[in-house]
Amino acid sequence: MDWTLLLGIGRFILATTLLLLLTIPTAFVVIQMELKIIALMQLRIGPNRVGPGGMFQSTIHGFKVLAKEDTVPDQADRATFTMAPWMVYMAAAMSMLVIPFAPGLVAFDSKISVVYFFAVLGLSVVGLLVAGWASYNKYSLLGGLRSAAQMVSYEIPLTLSVVGVVVLTGSLSFTEIIAWQLHHGWAFLPQILILPVFFIAATAEINRAPFDMVEADSELVAGPFTEYSGMRFGFFFFAEYVALFIMSTILVTLFFGGWLAPWPFPAQLGGFIGTIYGLFWFFLKAYIFVFVAVWMRATLPRLRVDQLMGMAWKVLLPLALVNLFVTAIVVVVGKL
Amino acid sequence: MTAVDPEVRIPDPLDTERDDEARLRAAAGLDLPRAAGRAEYAGFETVGLPDRPPQTERERQLFTLDEGEMLVNMGPQHPSTHGVMRLLVKVRGEVITDIDPVLGYLHRGIEKLCENATYTTVLTYVDPMDYLSAMHNEHAPAIAFEKLYGIEVPRRAEYIRALVVELNRVFSHGLMMGFLALDMGGLTPILYGFINRDEVVDLLSAISGQRMLFNFFRVGGVNWDVNDEFLSRLGKWRSHVLDNIAMNERLLTENEIFRARTRGMGILDGRRAVQLGVTGPNLRASGVPFDVRRAHPYSIYPELEFEVITQQTGDVYARYLQRIAEIKQSIRLIDQIVDRMPHGPVQAQVPGIIRPRPGRAYAAIESPRGLYSVYAISDGSATPYRFRMRDPSFISLQALPTLMPGHLIADTMAIMASFDPVMGGVDK
Repeated sequence: MDWTLLLGIGRFILATTLLLLLTIPTAFVVIQMELKIIALMQLRIGPNRVGPGGMFQSTIHGFKVLAKEDTVPDQADRATFTMAPWMVYMAAAMSMLVIPFAPGLVAFDSKISVVYFFAVLGLSVVGLLVAGWASYNKYSLLGGLRSAAQMVSYEIPLTLSVVGVVVLTGSLSFTEIIAWQLHHGWAFLPQILILPVFFIAATAEINRAPFDMVEADSELVAGPFTEYSGMRFGFFFFAEYVALFIMSTILVTLFFGGWLAPWPFPAQLGGFIGTIYGLFWFFLKAYIFVFVAVWMRATLPRLRVDQLMGMAWKVLLPLALVNLFVTAIVVVVGKL
Repeated sequence: MTAVDPEVRIPDPLDTERDDEARLRAAAGLDLPRAAGRAEYAGFETVGLPDRPPQTERERQLFTLDEGEMLVNMGPQHPSTHGVMRLLVKVRGEVITDIDPVLGYLHRGIEKLCENATYTTVLTYVDPMDYLSAMHNEHAPAIAFEKLYGIEVPRRAEYIRALVVELNRVFSHGLMMGFLALDMGGLTPILYGFINRDEVVDLLSAISGQRMLFNFFRVGGVNWDVNDEFLSRLGKWRSHVLDNIAMNERLLTENEIFRARTRGMGILDGRRAVQLGVTGPNLRASGVPFDVRRAHPYSIYPELEFEVITQQTGDVYARYLQRIAEIKQSIRLIDQIVDRMPHGPVQAQVPGIIRPRPGRAYAAIESPRGLYSVYAISDGSATPYRFRMRDPSFISLQALPTLMPGHLIADTMAIMASFDPVMGGVDK
């Protein structure tokens, strides 16, 4: 009997369960941040009734959708309509598998975890497209097609901007990218030109403002989610905020040293204390970028569809390519 | 007593209703044949077409779908149609090929109500028409009735009138900036606009007692004189109103996304605007310097200094800049009015029930949305024989179908918000 295989399977099941359980509080925290921070920026008080300082408002929202009636439109394609939220949510949750949260704390440490991550996160576009198609609603249809166009376009500059880091560190594994940054310093310094490209493309990829064309509420009511109600809508909603958190963690992992502290990580800190120390820095850095995304939502109006596409193909893609070539030349010259 | 024949089937009203529903559903295209569990998409793009032959040439044109075209219904319950406006939009992909505004969802028959009210009570009915500029709504009929009856309004009352309508103009234009941003996905400017509006309506409630439908004007004057609370609030508001406007300007005017989405968008040239009867800031943004306060002076405006500002381009961005410029002119006017306000009574001697001699009167004012005018006919009784209001939002909406084709769905809302229509005034 191969015990290591069984152990591996058990570890995998435990890790996936824990990560699925982690997504719910993450969504609650990010939604609560958004409610409260936008309120402060708009000189409002924001939620202040549920819990101390209103801190359970998003939790209550989350449980509220459970209690709501779940309706399916008469003409909807019932099977795909039911499956779409599940696909979007699982795409977000499954991509968390390869994120190293702290030293040694990663559910699935693969040699090609960068490829896995972008492949799985890209699946959510299928869910959105299916949701738009199955709803039998013109707004949903337009929203679904917009999401397909937008996410497919932005995946290219997003992935190309990551290739720069991959070339620099010589690895496709997130843990090894962090290990490289431990010795050579955080990767955002050599990759400073590509950082804005990655941030913009990541914001567009997860349909956040100012690129939230998919569910542009003033044009398409709620885009592909228009006909959804109850927990099905809740899954879409959660997936969106989990994706925001995940994109921040990836940004931190690739460019800002993951769980590394801003000063040299004390090597003697091992075991449990080291994990907590790493988690602290990881979440702190990730939530800083969540805050930036919320800040952008409060500040900027939305782009138009054609302008969005133009930006992806005419600005971000050339910049990402230039950065890739420069990085490659520097790496090759450095090795000579 | 007649025996009931058991063979005669008494029609069950519920049955006919069911038949009716089936017929209606079939007409609406809801009962398309369904393969087991699968939606049938044939005819999806035609859902919403009426179940009758076209009645007019325009209907035939609108309801004929070319290959790849789809009819999208926006409103009357849509997040950004400014109340209860309905737009029937024909799109090819996301590009609009035809558009048809459908009005009347907020019709309350206010003109008819006014024809059954005495001259004094008419001024209470007109408030909720254009609910963002209630003071202007009262101003126009007040002038018309004073002309009908031949009343001289005291000077101090004229100054107070000008003061409150300019205050009203400031918050109305401030909200327009916010709504324009909101329709393009910017969440914050509308909140800043409402902070400004809240302060102004507090001001106006200090003088009139109400926050939205002020009911402040009277035939022959105004209801109350200015009081201490009003003046202290006015001073406080005046000290930071420009900062408040600048907060929104910083978010929008130089914002790259905002400029990219508004410049060159929905261009209405001056000649076309005049032909369509568009007035107010929308006309001046197209380069035509027509302002009722200057072209047909009323009240005390001839004595005050202000500029009739125009923009050249006539696009959404120009209409936005026009609003900001007019806010600054209104604040300039408010300063002059407060500075020069004379002493005296605020209400002329007017009988309890006004019975003007038979005749007709017309009064036009410059409201935040354009030329707001009243045409009233008296037959000698205590109620107007005919009472007609020209609402500028209604006229501005005429320009929409000429501007929108060729733009994207996302631009419909920006173009509509730039005209700043208020459906309460459009539907009366």
